[in-house]
Amino acid sequence: MTDVHSTTSKAAPASEAADLDREATRPFGTGPAEAAESGSGGAPGGSATGAGWGRWAWRQLTSMRTALILLFLLALGSVPGSILPQQGSDPASVTQYFTSHPALAPWLNRLGLFNVFAAPWFAAIYILLFASLVGCVVPRTFKLVGSARTPPPRAPRNLTRLPQSVTYPSALPPDAAVDAAATVLGGQRFRLRRPAAGDAGHWLAAEKGYLREVGNLLFHLSLLGVLLSIALGGLFGYKADELVTEGQTFSDTTAQLAEFHPGRLVSGSDLAQFSLTLDKFTANYINSGASIGQPAEFNANVSYTTTPGGATKTDSIQVNHPLSVDSVKVYLIGHGYAPEFTVRGRGGVAYQEATPFIPANTNTMLSDGVVKAPSASLGFEGVFVPTAYMAGGTTLESIFPAANNPEVSLIGYSGNLGLNSGAPQSIYQLDTSQMTEIAGGPHLMTPGSTWTLPGKLGSITYDGTKQWVSLAITYDPGQIPALVCGILAIAGLLLSFFVRRRRVFVRALPGPDGVGSVVTVGGLTRTDASGGFEDEFANLAVDIADASSPSSPSSPSSPTAGPAASDDHQKPEPNNQSETGA
Amino acid sequence: MSVNAGLAHVSTDFMIAALLIYSLALLAFAGDYAFGRPRRRAAMLAAKPAADRAAQLATVGAAPASATPAGVVVDGPESGASESNEAQGPGSNATAPAAAAGPGNPIGGAAARPVRPAGAFRAIAEAGPWVRAAATLSAIGILAHVIAVTTRGFAVHRAPWGDMYEFITALTCVAAIFFYYILVKYRAWAIGVFVMGAIVIALGLAETLIYTPAGPLVPALQSYWLSIHVTAMTLSSGIFFVAAVLGIMYIVAERYRKRVAAGKAEPNPLLDRIPSGAQLDKLTYRAVVFGFPIWTFGVMAGAIWADQAWGRYWGWDPVETWAFITWVIYAAYLHARATGGWRGIRSHYIQLLGFASLLTNIFVIQIFVTGLHSYAGVQ
Repeated sequence: MTDVHSTTSKAAPASEAADLDREATRPFGTGPAEAAESGSGGAPGGSATGAGWGRWAWRQLTSMRTALILLFLLALGSVPGSILPQQGSDPASVTQYFTSHPALAPWLNRLGLFNVFAAPWFAAIYILLFASLVGCVVPRTFKLVGSARTPPPRAPRNLTRLPQSVTYPSALPPDAAVDAAATVLGGQRFRLRRPAAGDAGHWLAAEKGYLREVGNLLFHLSLLGVLLSIALGGLFGYKADELVTEGQTFSDTTAQLAEFHPGRLVSGSDLAQFSLTLDKFTANYINSGASIGQPAEFNANVSYTTTPGGATKTDSIQVNHPLSVDSVKVYLIGHGYAPEFTVRGRGGVAYQEATPFIPANTNTMLSDGVVKAPSASLGFEGVFVPTAYMAGGTTLESIFPAANNPEVSLIGYSGNLGLNSGAPQSIYQLDTSQMTEIAGGPHLMTPGSTWTLPGKLGSITYDGTKQWVSLAITYDPGQIPALVCGILAIAGLLLSFFVRRRRVFVRALPGPDGVGSVVTVGGLTRTDASGGFEDEFANLAVDIADASSPSSPSSPSSPTAGPAASDDHQKPEPNNQSETGA
Repeated sequence: MSVNAGLAHVSTDFMIAALLIYSLALLAFAGDYAFGRPRRRAAMLAAKPAADRAAQLATVGAAPASATPAGVVVDGPESGASESNEAQGPGSNATAPAAAAGPGNPIGGAAARPVRPAGAFRAIAEAGPWVRAAATLSAIGILAHVIAVTTRGFAVHRAPWGDMYEFITALTCVAAIFFYYILVKYRAWAIGVFVMGAIVIALGLAETLIYTPAGPLVPALQSYWLSIHVTAMTLSSGIFFVAAVLGIMYIVAERYRKRVAAGKAEPNPLLDRIPSGAQLDKLTYRAVVFGFPIWTFGVMAGAIWADQAWGRYWGWDPVETWAFITWVIYAAYLHARATGGWRGIRSHYIQLLGFASLLTNIFVIQIFVTGLHSYAGVQ
């Protein structure tokens, strides 16, 4: 990815490049003639027409410098999203921030800083970045196709000026020595070019590593794919939260889902048709040692039908193990206790339900909740503790999150609950403004006990304890495409980093007195990102020397030749077969 | 799933042992840095009169060729091409300039044949007693470190990077292994004192400040994606750690050399021995090239895990956001190296900014900002 935006070769220092045959060091992966286009920043060329300005603006946008600045802006723009509370993930904290910073919060809100990742300015940054990316990648793709059709450049005249080169004598005549080198390089799947019919001299040009550029392009295109997949999920996906008590059933319909967040193009009829019952929820906690009370396992046993009236299946949902129904996934994201109450008023049973209480302390599972029995004009505020302990004999506390010794403490109210006023009311809050507190509260209750209210108002019975879970139901059609694009991006990254585009040239001159030849091997790579071309070239040079100089000892006795000299490189038999890749 | 106290104890002992052995290796690297090079260089000059490329270009006479290709050795600023130029003093038998081998200029005599590069471990053996001691001690230290991390994993029956202390010890272990890899591959003794020094400091701080006894994990962390995601994050962080040390070396050395060249500072024999900017630049780049795909993979594995645990693969949780910021900054570094006006010292500042955001994520966001990733276990 290093150079998707850049087009000029930095293969050789300028002083050397000036002396080289220009052809040999022509930019890798490009055609013979190519103008430098990156980061010039010059004035619009030619006329000052609209088209000229447009071309200039496009060139600016697609320059590497702009891409770099946009990358910085993207990083910088993400920072407030991690520091300030965000509407999408934590709306309650945003409300709290507004109360605690009444002067500052509206200004931050105007800048979109409470919803950074959906803010127009953030979208502008990444859309410009991707436009810049497309503007670079698309022309480059065409150039890659062009370069795949172009043979390697001719061998330069003086190979010793290349970054890597070695010269040695060979017993073979020049043409046979080059043939032998061609066999070695061809055997290592280099693309070869030999002199055309009219060309003078004995030389060979070889090139390898075209996949580097392919990887580079694949990486950038895959990032584009990830962005499109996210957009797909945003348009056609949905997410809902649902609180279910043991024994309860819910259906995947808009009417039944509590917090339904559909994508822009989702309607109620697009929802899957399953219904789900929570049979049993178990939570295990560590009950000894330093981390006592820390949760060890959560398990929600459910039964579900995929279509109305269909066969019932069972499964268990755990924290890292969601349930897949059709293409929808159901996740376990929270849990709590739901004490069961029976409220009797003057007219008999007015309320009989398991009532979800919300954990106020997630370590001890001390929970708050309310019971509303409007037909009996009774309401209760309660605290539930799973393992009760009376601190100092007066304060009810929970000392363990499991329901080992559950107790409920209730304060009763009688009067108008305010449910008919028309204003929406939370089911977890009791409006006591028109109610009077019943004497005798807070009243402590154990399972099975009944509190007979004074003044013949009725009674409340704490029947037992159930548990509830909160489930997230999500459908995201962009998920699989995003995963595929992500895998392709990594594959592209690896190719572009660990494949190097390199050229190897061989030139043979007649030897002294017309016997044998003098062979020069030269090598050149461009962005050798992971390193190692020097070693590869040294080994190639030995292979070529061994193949083109069969009369001398196959392994040259050098005092400095280390263990690597016994590499398992094949030593090709010299032959006269002429290979031309062009 | 209880904690095996005996194994946890073994782990702690080996961690201390690794720290001590690393400190000794650091001493040996410092010894090489201070005393090893001039002698070795003199020996090289005597034994290899036509080292490196000069020998490969020389074609007349039987000049012994150096086994080491140019541009690989990172052994102080004077090695490589400049050294071989110095070697071509009067009386050197590398006589014929390369240009003489042009067309129409047939060459006589038996020329040097190309040779394969020397094995890396042989290079260590030849590099003198300080380097031999440092490399051996580093290897033993890494072994102790790996045993410490592994036994901790067995003690708690899971991948041993579930809390901050475990993450830092595993990160430094990766950094040490990756450092050893580039030490061997690029013969980079001269960076040893700096990288090993940083490893010793980081591991020492982890042992003294944030030591956490071995313990089990909360349900949200009980997933094999923990192993995959956090392993990738640990690996890439350890590699970026090495890159950051190299980047700091680069900046210090470049600024110092600029000041000396401008006559603003006296030459300092210790700073003179930092490898050349070009070599450090290349090593840094290769380290980032190694770490970046692993970081990318780690972020993706985290997304897959987040999808399984929380019902969405990307939710801009503070830790996710900072992983993204770090990724973007390292991407900017990779692009900067190919952009005019941004190469050299500027690109190194970007790279260090990337590592700073990585550290911010670990030490600021995970501890002080509440999010779904608040597992650090640091009180």
